[in-house]
Amino acid sequence: MRRTLRIYRRSLGAHLRAVLEYEADFWVLIVAGLLFQVLNLIFLSAVFAHVPALNGWSYPEAVLLAGTYGFVNGLGPLFFEGTWRLAGKINHGELDYPLTRPAPVLVQVVSGGIGLHGVGDLIGGGAMIGWGLAHSDIDWSPARIGGGLLLLASSATILLSLIVVGNAASFWVGGNHPVFAMTLIRTGDMAKYPLSIYGVAVRATFTVLVPYAFISFFPASWLLGKESAWIGLLTPLVALYCVYLARLVFRLGLRRYDSAGH
Amino acid sequence: MSLVEARGLTKIFRRPEKDPGLRGSLKHLVQRRFKDFRAVDGIDLSIEAGESVAYVGPNGAGKSTTIKLLTGILVPTAGTVRVAGAEPHTDRMVNARNIGVLFGQRTQLWWDLPVRESLALLRDMYDLSPAFYKQRLERLDEVLGLADLLPVVARKLSLGQRMRADLAAALLHQPKIVYLDEPTIGLDISVKDRVRQFLRELRQDGTTLMLTTHDLGDIEDVCERIVIIDEGRKIFDGPLAQMKDRFARVRRMHLQLAEPTPVEKLAERLPDVEVIAGDSPTEVTVTFDRFTHTAGQIIAGVLDVVEVGELHLDEPAIEDVVRKVYAGELLR
Amino acid sequence: MRPYLGLLRMSTRRILTYRLNSLILWIGGATFLAGSLAVWHALLSQGAIGGYDWDQMKAYLLVGWATASIGSAYGDWWMASRIFDGHVATDLTKPLDYQWARFSEHMGGLATEFIAIAIAATAIVTFTGGLVVPGPGQALLFAVSFLLVAPLKFTIAYITTMACFWTQNFMGVSWAKDAVVTLFSGALIPLALLPAWLAGPAAVLPFASITATPAALYLGQATGWEALRLLAVQAAWVLVLWWGARLIWRRALRALTVHGG
Ligand SMILES: Nc1ncnc2c1ncn2[C@@H]1O[C@H](COP(=O)(O)OP(=O)(O)OP(=O)(O)O)[C@@H](O)[C@H]1O
Ligand SMILES: [Mg+2]
Repeated sequence: MRRTLRIYRRSLGAHLRAVLEYEADFWVLIVAGLLFQVLNLIFLSAVFAHVPALNGWSYPEAVLLAGTYGFVNGLGPLFFEGTWRLAGKINHGELDYPLTRPAPVLVQVVSGGIGLHGVGDLIGGGAMIGWGLAHSDIDWSPARIGGGLLLLASSATILLSLIVVGNAASFWVGGNHPVFAMTLIRTGDMAKYPLSIYGVAVRATFTVLVPYAFISFFPASWLLGKESAWIGLLTPLVALYCVYLARLVFRLGLRRYDSAGH
Repeated sequence: MSLVEARGLTKIFRRPEKDPGLRGSLKHLVQRRFKDFRAVDGIDLSIEAGESVAYVGPNGAGKSTTIKLLTGILVPTAGTVRVAGAEPHTDRMVNARNIGVLFGQRTQLWWDLPVRESLALLRDMYDLSPAFYKQRLERLDEVLGLADLLPVVARKLSLGQRMRADLAAALLHQPKIVYLDEPTIGLDISVKDRVRQFLRELRQDGTTLMLTTHDLGDIEDVCERIVIIDEGRKIFDGPLAQMKDRFARVRRMHLQLAEPTPVEKLAERLPDVEVIAGDSPTEVTVTFDRFTHTAGQIIAGVLDVVEVGELHLDEPAIEDVVRKVYAGELLR
Repeated sequence: MRPYLGLLRMSTRRILTYRLNSLILWIGGATFLAGSLAVWHALLSQGAIGGYDWDQMKAYLLVGWATASIGSAYGDWWMASRIFDGHVATDLTKPLDYQWARFSEHMGGLATEFIAIAIAATAIVTFTGGLVVPGPGQALLFAVSFLLVAPLKFTIAYITTMACFWTQNFMGVSWAKDAVVTLFSGALIPLALLPAWLAGPAAVLPFASITATPAALYLGQATGWEALRLLAVQAAWVLVLWWGARLIWRRALRALTVHGG
């Protein structure tokens, strides 16, 4: 485990150094990441200019929710960016070499790149969380702070696991681009709004089938003390389940790997 | 038990069957058909420690696929593989420490990283101690001229430079067995010589080598045993010399005669043998089938007619032999 | 003409080859549409916002989603990656006009995009109980404007991909473009609902012609001369950007020879 973490850290570090070589790209990416969070904010502010609340969620609460979703989404590009190259690697037979090395293939894949636009998401999302918390009505206690951090870590784990699951689908789907994963993750964008606006089918799907709701809605509900806040406390369990699922799907996929002719 | 043991090794790929054109694509959309394709078909192979084996065959014979099976990249459809006692695709991690792999067409260097970073990452994966790593780099630098390449980003390397860096990457951890799939593809003569020299040294160090190539010069320089496969099946396995003995029937003898002699006169004395005049009136070339004549008989025949100054017997060219094998002339 | 039609067909076929990918892409688009519908449904339950009631907003979102779909099957990725991996050199040796060739490929996606749009429209009608439809006159205006979206989106994507000649990283540029287009076209939120400091720039930028114009024609918010004016603006943007792209391309080629592709 320690060894695996070290390999992961070194690999990510090497890619970070490589990316930092191109200063212009660095800024373009950060700005692009930030822009998306700004769009979310513009949408919310334009809407809340006309309505006081969205299904019982006030403006600061909605900003907190969207900010959490954005913040967690920034972790993917920063720490799991290599995963998005899996489809191309499978298609071109580029898992051949990783398979001949004494390190977990998943770790080699996941750490195979870094996307600095995540920094923009972290900054934008973080700012929205901060502003949202400051303007929401929360009775703070050490337990609430600790719980909040635990839930944040769990929700990040869920999203990163979903990224792995989605991209591992490329073992079955084929093609050069991770379209399945893109769909899976983009669908999750619906979770940046309060879950209660959706119909019962969507709510059930997002809670049980693909747990997007545990990325931001349930943790934020717990923090804000919304109705059925206790569900938020299940987030760590859901996270563990997602990790298990991601490893399983990747392992099964790897068994299907056929390399490429030549 | 041998270092590498494969029994009945088989790999079947499933290929989509699609008619050409837009119609074909649309049809495949509705009705998906597949066809099984046997890339490797029941291969038995044992390689002892320290051997160096050339693995040759025409395009599409199944060479690369075999290597992928032996290295644990692909899971065999049938048959077993053991490499140093481990089953490569299940004991992947254990096997990985024993082997080094190079696919000449593809690099294992990280595309956007300088070569130095790639090598350092491999160092971490193989848990090499700093001292060992340094010593290996020095050694590899000596034979491959690495120093200039270290700071360069992999994507900017020329083909020859890339291959040198890739060789270093494959051999960094001093593997027991090295699989090389076309290690000299696209290289110029001087780099090729350097690579071959390097492979010879590797062999002298006691490393086990398995090498596929279309450049038979690689084989003659480096390998003592040759395995020929075609359509996924083994059609020859034995020492290089034995293959020549067995399949190189035609021999060529160049003779320098003491005085000008018409070729007809010699041909008369040597029936069933082709005699051709050389560049000068005193030179002739005699081509004979070594299963029907010995070199001694030929010389005796010529001596009946004229004194011989010098003579020289061509080595059977492995190229000719392999060409015939590929063409199906010397099958099974 | 023939070679361009050939490219168009090739492009359609490529999209069909990765049919599963295309299918999943559309499903992804559909869930996005479903999400927007849900948000607006909740928001509009207490009454209209900025002049949009639920029925109009439904139609607006459908038009917005449809215009966003145009060109997405082909994708600017495809063009960009050809520049990165040096294929552009091969493309340049062909006796074809580069811009027209890429445009043909872009249009190759239209067939599948139209199918997807039709399916989405049917789904909205089925699941949300109907959809406002314009009268014949407005419908015609809308159709013309919708057709103009294809070349308009192409030129914008095409100009964006040329950033590849100057930066190593197309992704960031492409996203920044997407963000800007989404905001200023009206795909994020109807332009009328934007705060003044954003509505101002939106009015003068070409992006409004992508979503706001077709939507206004569909919903009958612009009729008569105003409708024709909007169409004229849209057509003018197509021409300006098309020729602007040519100018930039000429400069980009210079960069290409400098960097060696
Ligand atoms: N991943 C794959 N999927 C489907 N078919 C494959 C795959 N890999 C190889 N093949 C097929 O298996 C056969 C053997 O391929 P292989 O790459 O082993 O040949 P080779 O002997 O290495 O040929 P070459 O000398 O051209 O490199 C070929 O017909 C090839 O088309
Ligand atoms: Mg091969």
